[in-house]
Amino acid sequence: MSKKITVNGIEYPLDSEKTLLENLEAQAIKQEYHCRDGHCGVCRCRLISGQADYINYPMAYLRDGEVLTCCSKSKQDIVLATY
Amino acid sequence: MAYTTFSTIPNDAMKEPMFFGNPVNVARYDQQRFAVFEMLIEKQLSFFWRPEEIDVSRDRIDFLNLPDHEQHIFISNLKYQTLLDSIQGRSPNIALLPIVSLPELETWIETWSFSETIHSRSYTHILRNLFTEPAEIFEDIVTNVEIQKRATDISGYYDALIHATQFMQLHGLEQNDIDYINLKNQVEKLNLRAIKKKLYLCICSVNALEAIRFYVSFACSFAFAERDLLEGNAKIIKLIARDEALHLNSTQQILNLWADGKDDPEMAEIAIECFAEGREIFLKAAQQEKDWAKYLFKDGSMIGLNEQILSQYVEYISNLRMQAIGYAPEFEVKSNPIPWINNWLVSDNVQVAPQETEISSYLVGQIDSKVDSEDLSTFEL
Repeated sequence: MSKKITVNGIEYPLDSEKTLLENLEAQAIKQEYHCRDGHCGVCRCRLISGQADYINYPMAYLRDGEVLTCCSKSKQDIVLATY
Repeated sequence: MAYTTFSTIPNDAMKEPMFFGNPVNVARYDQQRFAVFEMLIEKQLSFFWRPEEIDVSRDRIDFLNLPDHEQHIFISNLKYQTLLDSIQGRSPNIALLPIVSLPELETWIETWSFSETIHSRSYTHILRNLFTEPAEIFEDIVTNVEIQKRATDISGYYDALIHATQFMQLHGLEQNDIDYINLKNQVEKLNLRAIKKKLYLCICSVNALEAIRFYVSFACSFAFAERDLLEGNAKIIKLIARDEALHLNSTQQILNLWADGKDDPEMAEIAIECFAEGREIFLKAAQQEKDWAKYLFKDGSMIGLNEQILSQYVEYISNLRMQAIGYAPEFEVKSNPIPWINNWLVSDNVQVAPQETEISSYLVGQIDSKVDSEDLSTFEL
């Protein structure tokens, strides 16, 4: 069964090969980005549940329950909320 | 209290706060209290570039063909950026190095400031190409009223911190025999907490500088390049923007580490005490940038940008930046009025080769450099 990415309460199919940011973009969800390299922090989202696996170290400052979408992927269902 | 270039106190740098602990001694990077500063150094070094690598020769023709009001926009922005980087090329070193206590942070500050000097050098590179005699442009930076308005605001917090630190290092903090006379010529009771407060406000002001002050001029430079004009300049500004994102990262880290109580507990108290003042610094910077947009477009707009759009962008980016350091977004604007700017801010498709400066479509047909290990799965040795 395919996995889901839920953003602001709406479910979408999750492509585990793509970063979370690319998933958001594929679903035309408005999410700001700048560097796409994990250091500017602009693509920060709230992680409600699930796990984000980082492909690059997220250098931007993250508080508990925050995720940097440009440099992370997920293999499991994941629930996010945009700022 | 005097500064020493090599403290012989056998301290454990892993237990020091970022600032106002023991002075740094051994420049060692095998361990870091805050690893992110080491990563920032690595990243900044990997970003190294020189303005001479970028061909700006076509820009002169483009510039000469611009109408007067667009020349005003272009040159005014260059002047303002020259001012910002003149300040940033020296101030972090002078203000922060005497009080820093972590070796990785000390080296980050030096690396950061050094990269700002590259930015200053690129403005000379750009201006020397546009004008046979660029002296007039540089001389106006000190006397231009619109630029001065903000210069004092930016340098004021640095100067206050530097002055107080110098007093402390020369006379100590007793003040029994000698009073501290601050920059406003007033006697001020100085203690360590008061200097820490000056440090906090200084970092707030630098953070606002890195977060929003540069972006009005970035937007204009990129707007010209979207029309295939002044592309050499835009290439350089793109490299500068990439560096600035790192600098901003570090000031956000410092402010957030303090506010979240992960560094000096006294700084956590000061962060709460100065919460409103930090917000004011940010909002004042945003207002000054909107005023700057008005000055830029006083004689007319340019295609794709006008005062209103640029002011909305200032508000939009202020919201983003304020959220990043724990403030509620201040402005109504919910979406980016110039979404195309983000393509210019992506860090990994920066190209500097001269032939690519002139052919902006060069990137379109490039080979994808990403290799997945799956692609090699059928290979046998």
